Amino acid sequence: MKYITTIGEKEFVIEVVDEEHIIVDGVGCKVNFESVSGEPVYSLLIDGQSHEAYVYEDDEGWEVLLQGSLYPATVVDEREHRLKSAFGSDPVQSGEFYLKAPMPGLVVAIPIEDGQKVEEGDVLIILESMKMQNELKSPRAGTIARIRVGIGENVERRQTLLSVV
Amino acid sequence: MFNKVLIANRGEIAVRILRACRELGLETVAVYSDADRKSLHVRYADEAYLLGPAPSRDSYLRSDKIIEIAKKSGASAIHPGYGFLAERADFAQAVIDEGIAFIGPKPSSIAAMGDKGVARATVTAAGVPVVPGTEAEGSLSDDDLLKVAPEIGFPLLIKATAGGGGKGMREVNKLEEMPELLASARREAESAFGDGNVYLEKLVEGARHIEFQILADTHGNVIHLGERECSLQRRHQKLLEESPSPFMDEDLRQKMGEVAVRAAQSVEYVNAGTIEFLVDGEKNFYFLEMNTRLQVEHPITEAVTGVDIVKEQIRIARGRTLSRQQEEIQMNGWAIECRVNAEDPYSNFMPSTGYISHVLLPTGPGVRVDTGVYPGFEISPYYDSLISKLIVFGETRAEVILRMRRALEEYKIVGVRTNIPFHQSMMDSHRFMAGQFDTQFVEKRFSIDKTRKGQEAHPHIAAIMATLVAHQHTQRSAHVIQRNERDTSNWKWMGRWERIHR
Repeated sequence: MKYITTIGEKEFVIEVVDEEHIIVDGVGCKVNFESVSGEPVYSLLIDGQSHEAYVYEDDEGWEVLLQGSLYPATVVDEREHRLKSAFGSDPVQSGEFYLKAPMPGLVVAIPIEDGQKVEEGDVLIILESMKMQNELKSPRAGTIARIRVGIGENVERRQTLLSVV
Repeated sequence: MFNKVLIANRGEIAVRILRACRELGLETVAVYSDADRKSLHVRYADEAYLLGPAPSRDSYLRSDKIIEIAKKSGASAIHPGYGFLAERADFAQAVIDEGIAFIGPKPSSIAAMGDKGVARATVTAAGVPVVPGTEAEGSLSDDDLLKVAPEIGFPLLIKATAGGGGKGMREVNKLEEMPELLASARREAESAFGDGNVYLEKLVEGARHIEFQILADTHGNVIHLGERECSLQRRHQKLLEESPSPFMDEDLRQKMGEVAVRAAQSVEYVNAGTIEFLVDGEKNFYFLEMNTRLQVEHPITEAVTGVDIVKEQIRIARGRTLSRQQEEIQMNGWAIECRVNAEDPYSNFMPSTGYISHVLLPTGPGVRVDTGVYPGFEISPYYDSLISKLIVFGETRAEVILRMRRALEEYKIVGVRTNIPFHQSMMDSHRFMAGQFDTQFVEKRFSIDKTRKGQEAHPHIAAIMATLVAHQHTQRSAHVIQRNERDTSNWKWMGRWERIHR
């Protein structure tokens, strides 16, 4: 299977030939890839070089924590890649943006109201978790469409708090 | 004399205190909330009793229940740890009133140092310099504060009267932005301490935050164990501490140590405590506050002085004299502590909650880890985000920085995001290495690099690993569909499936 993996601006074409062989941008490598005791810590031996990283999936793709550096990565197979390049668009800049709680917590302040115009970076909600107050900001300019929580309300992780159109 | 100790705390500090009790042959009693049934401190203690639901006010802040459990279990001493009830004079008094030993200072000292206005007045009378501000004037209204602000001069700090740990604290650079900052400081103070009162204090620029560890027994002996450098903070929360301070010389240490001892004596202090100072570029130092409890960062002092501070606390509470005199205290080598918090340094240090599925602890020479978590433990939103403290020590500062780098690379915590990458970036920072930093450094002049300097970047290795994991996932989901779904062989089905999806 052939994948197109993007890290930052860089694209890598990686073909998984079999369990022990991959082709990276046309160059064949011998690999030995093991998860360490069944957890998302992985050990990779590639042409004798040993690497260890923590690889986990999040909403936007994959994150690789390798030697203290975090590499956000997107991995798509060839078919998906063709589809994506046909219908490319940036989901943050267009359509409705749903602000979701990044962690469970208590809503302590909502400095905006329904129908209000906001700029990128405006504080939408202040959420208290682990004894810290966290400002959740708008990723773009727009209008507040629906506020679904109230002050003093406990929210769960990933719960939709409001939307910006 | 007591031989059973109740530890009125949770997390790594409860475990730390349990260990000291174990070494002294004392029996231990743990208390816990619903969220902490499986915590390490419950598992390590000889006895453990439920306090109540997860929120602190229903559990770890229930002084009545804690005292009741102490009496029922026959514990004759209570160690409060830090946070929660540690700096509540009424709790200390209630404990003593029940004939139980309080492993900490006298209630009167807690009260004197807990009210910052009284604290400033007391230490000023003892000849200890303080930072200019409105602290001693009690609670002022917004109007009064706005009037007095230009007299103190900008930049200045708004601080919570009942505060600590940076909550309710705001920096003000000009008068116009002050009303809004006052409101948010009061709101945060109200929610954190149930008290929205604030005061103003001059912001000492280029300041370092240096604190002195004090030990005092009931026989009038007061000594200091040297300093800790705590300037590396974010939103006034300490992130990394070291001892000694790269800024300190023997002359200044002696002067500040003497002042620290005098400040402790001014409130007839007993047990372990910490005097916090601000030190400016000209080595002028000002008393900031006294923490009348064990500090989070006490292990670095233990590492360089060889004194076990928790055991010393217990010894003092048992009425014995300090095990050492001032002349016998020597600082040897260097120690750094990194606070490992469940926070994502890549998204503005947002707290991260969840199950810890895997932990690989750093080990080897000069490494100590104080923690209260283990694989399978859930980081809940109810308490602070400290997961563990990584303490590294060695002969010189350079050796310790290199050792810390090594230890941070070994340390892997899976399941929640941690600030370990922040610490790694810090260990690579030239300014940190040179010891050139102040309390503003983390927020104003330091940024965590996504690809660290001095480290070879490996985007292609990251890409390969992400791809291989994604590939495994695809294969696995194909396997799930396989079961019960088909009568043909798996290989045939895979072939068809791949053809369909090509």
